[in-house]
Amino acid sequence: MRVSLCLPRAAKAHHSTNYAPFATVTYTRATHAAVLHDLAWLYRPKAAGNIRCSLFPGQGMTPERLEKLESIERVREGYAELGYICSRQIATAIYVAGHLGKPILVEGPAGVGKTELANTTAAYLELPLIRLQCYEGLDEAKALYEWRYAKQLLYTQILRDKLGEVLGEAQGLKESMDRLHAHADVFFSERFLAPRPLLKALREPSGAVLLIDEVDKSDHEFEAFLLEILSEFQVSIPELGTIKAMRRPVVFLTSNNTREMSDALKRRCLHLYVPFPDAPLEREIIQARIPEIPRNLKYQLVSFVQQVRGLDLKKQPSVSESIDWARVLLLLHANELDPDMVRQTLNVFLKFEEDIQSVDVELYGFARQAKKADVAHA
Amino acid sequence: MEHTFTNFLSALRGAEIRVSVAETLDAMKTAALMGWSDRQGLHDALAMALAKTPDEKAGFTRIFDEFFAFESFHDRREARILDESRQSEDGDLLAMLRADDRAGLVLAMQEAAIEVGVENIRFFTQRGLYTQRVLQQMGVEGVDSQIQAMGGQGGSAGQALRESRAWLFEQVRNYVEHQLSLQGAATSRELREDRLRRSRLGNLDRRDREQMRRIVEKICRRLVTLHSRRRKMKNRGQLDIRRTMRRNYGHDGVLFELEWKKRKLDRPRVMAICDVSGSVASVARFLLQFLYELHELLRDIRSFAFSGHLIEVSEYFKENIADMAAEKVMQKVGYMPTDYGESFTNFYENFLADIDRNTTIIILGDARSNNTNPKAGYLKQMHERCKRLIWLNPEPPPLWGTGDSEMRRYRPYCDLLHECNTLNHLERVVNDLLETAQKAA
Repeated sequence: MRVSLCLPRAAKAHHSTNYAPFATVTYTRATHAAVLHDLAWLYRPKAAGNIRCSLFPGQGMTPERLEKLESIERVREGYAELGYICSRQIATAIYVAGHLGKPILVEGPAGVGKTELANTTAAYLELPLIRLQCYEGLDEAKALYEWRYAKQLLYTQILRDKLGEVLGEAQGLKESMDRLHAHADVFFSERFLAPRPLLKALREPSGAVLLIDEVDKSDHEFEAFLLEILSEFQVSIPELGTIKAMRRPVVFLTSNNTREMSDALKRRCLHLYVPFPDAPLEREIIQARIPEIPRNLKYQLVSFVQQVRGLDLKKQPSVSESIDWARVLLLLHANELDPDMVRQTLNVFLKFEEDIQSVDVELYGFARQAKKADVAHA
Repeated sequence: MEHTFTNFLSALRGAEIRVSVAETLDAMKTAALMGWSDRQGLHDALAMALAKTPDEKAGFTRIFDEFFAFESFHDRREARILDESRQSEDGDLLAMLRADDRAGLVLAMQEAAIEVGVENIRFFTQRGLYTQRVLQQMGVEGVDSQIQAMGGQGGSAGQALRESRAWLFEQVRNYVEHQLSLQGAATSRELREDRLRRSRLGNLDRRDREQMRRIVEKICRRLVTLHSRRRKMKNRGQLDIRRTMRRNYGHDGVLFELEWKKRKLDRPRVMAICDVSGSVASVARFLLQFLYELHELLRDIRSFAFSGHLIEVSEYFKENIADMAAEKVMQKVGYMPTDYGESFTNFYENFLADIDRNTTIIILGDARSNNTNPKAGYLKQMHERCKRLIWLNPEPPPLWGTGDSEMRRYRPYCDLLHECNTLNHLERVVNDLLETAQKAA
């Protein structure tokens, strides 16, 4: 059952007179209480027991997909089967976003699996993944659609004779215009529209997973332009009008925090912060990615990487890098962390000379600690 | 539940987490979706909907734990009411105290607290007042007069009543204090911040330093968001022929889309020269911190410090945290008699070539040069080479030019001369710097 989101009259009045984004002045406690009251009325439980399904219809999700998002545990298990081990927070985010139909802004250091999360979601929900990589200077023409003037021009040239036929016996300007109108807006149709990722995501009939990658690299103008899509799931195209999403896409925005995103953008999204995983989670991740890894090596490697992250480095080793390192060690047929081998392979997960040097100093101590951690778990 | 929710949100706002109305709606929906039984799940989900930076998340967790600590007590109470048959029906305070029905008392207390509006408490001096009001609302006078009537007598029943009354007082006071820590924190912090912003930087206590740093950070964050948009200004009406042609190659050279000439606004390039002799050192420290916090905005910033002679100190600030850096700078050039003439000579000889027409020079100092040769000619040359020269003087204007102050001699070569000795002054100057830089470009 769908609940239309229109507030009762009283609440509307509050909105129009007192609405302010972070109101500390005009938006008083009393108005706040009134709005909450109206909301409580709006979302009053219809019948005990089935609140969950009746309140939030999943905003354009098909029932099968909603079933896949039925509980947090189920999401975790489903993702684990696909080789993505997510923490409880991540699973909660997917669950809430899926039911509320809100975009998720994923922040965190590079290489903790932000992009992979979107990939896995697409695989789990069996939806196509549409990816938009942001960079400085990205604009509408590359993100949303491009109008093919050249094609339009070419068609007008080719069809000139046909136009003559259509207008053939028309008398006077007015009649010619009427005839042209009868053929509708052939020259302003979607045929001349080259869709780019955002438009594609909106027009995907079964819905899609839309990944807007590294949104912090884009300009402020582009960020503002995203707002309409994120809140209404529609875009306005001057030549055609407004295009609404056939089905709401599941939207992920990722950011490495090279700049603060604006409050307007954050307000429209759920905010998920993905930190580096703790040792048990990282072990699980490595196990899932490289099942053939020896148990000893896994324990020691994770302990070593976790210790390295404790140092003050230019760039901390990420999860993807520790996976790479595990692969390299496996190639070298290592069963345990051997300090010399570690020294030779440091450059797999440390990308700055200074970092390599500062880890090199601590190397033996870390290796010893790693062994201890392994023994303790054995 | 909605009363609790409103209070929770206002406590969050008190902890500097900005919660908009839209986010409130999301949070309500999220809470309805997650249910109230899974505490950790609810925390995670609400944190996602309400707190949107790592800092805010930490604050959120703190407030969540603190706030719902009392609310969980709430649940236990409800369970007890169901269990116990001796719950007094009319909620009469005296009867409840006699029966020692603690669960019922707490319930009555919370109702009374809502009635009185304890969540409006702001200052610690109001604790007693609100405690009394809540007690009165619960009808404690009747009990008091009863206790009085019994006097010292009444045996064990009277003793028990007195104990219950004392217990109740403790509970109410506890509850009021809890509300104060949740709701009043924001107000007292604002008061303190306001005072610090207006007080002279030279007069600050050491214990305020930490907080000052936080304020500086906050101001800088605001300035960054205000100015970080690098606007492209159009030179309206001027066609950029080269770019138009390039853009329309695809259309067979037919000019469909026109390109206009644009200019990108540039960020200012700053050279800050700070006097670090004892009298102005504390102001200089904050200016340098200010400028370094703004590194996102300021494309290129170099700083210099002097008292007897001048050296470049940019490196110290890049490598160290602000406090350590200030210490190091003081060790290098501090504690020497000030000599403006010598210092300007140093600058002129070593760094004049680095000044270009985009540079803004900021000098911070009181221009008290111990009666040495001021060498204003050097300042004049610096002024001619740079785009702007701003002088910030921590002394109030009437003192300029008195005693050994050379301010009058330097004055003609300053594009802007400001009194600057509080954080508010500093903020205004830096804001001004960024704004005019954008306009002028």
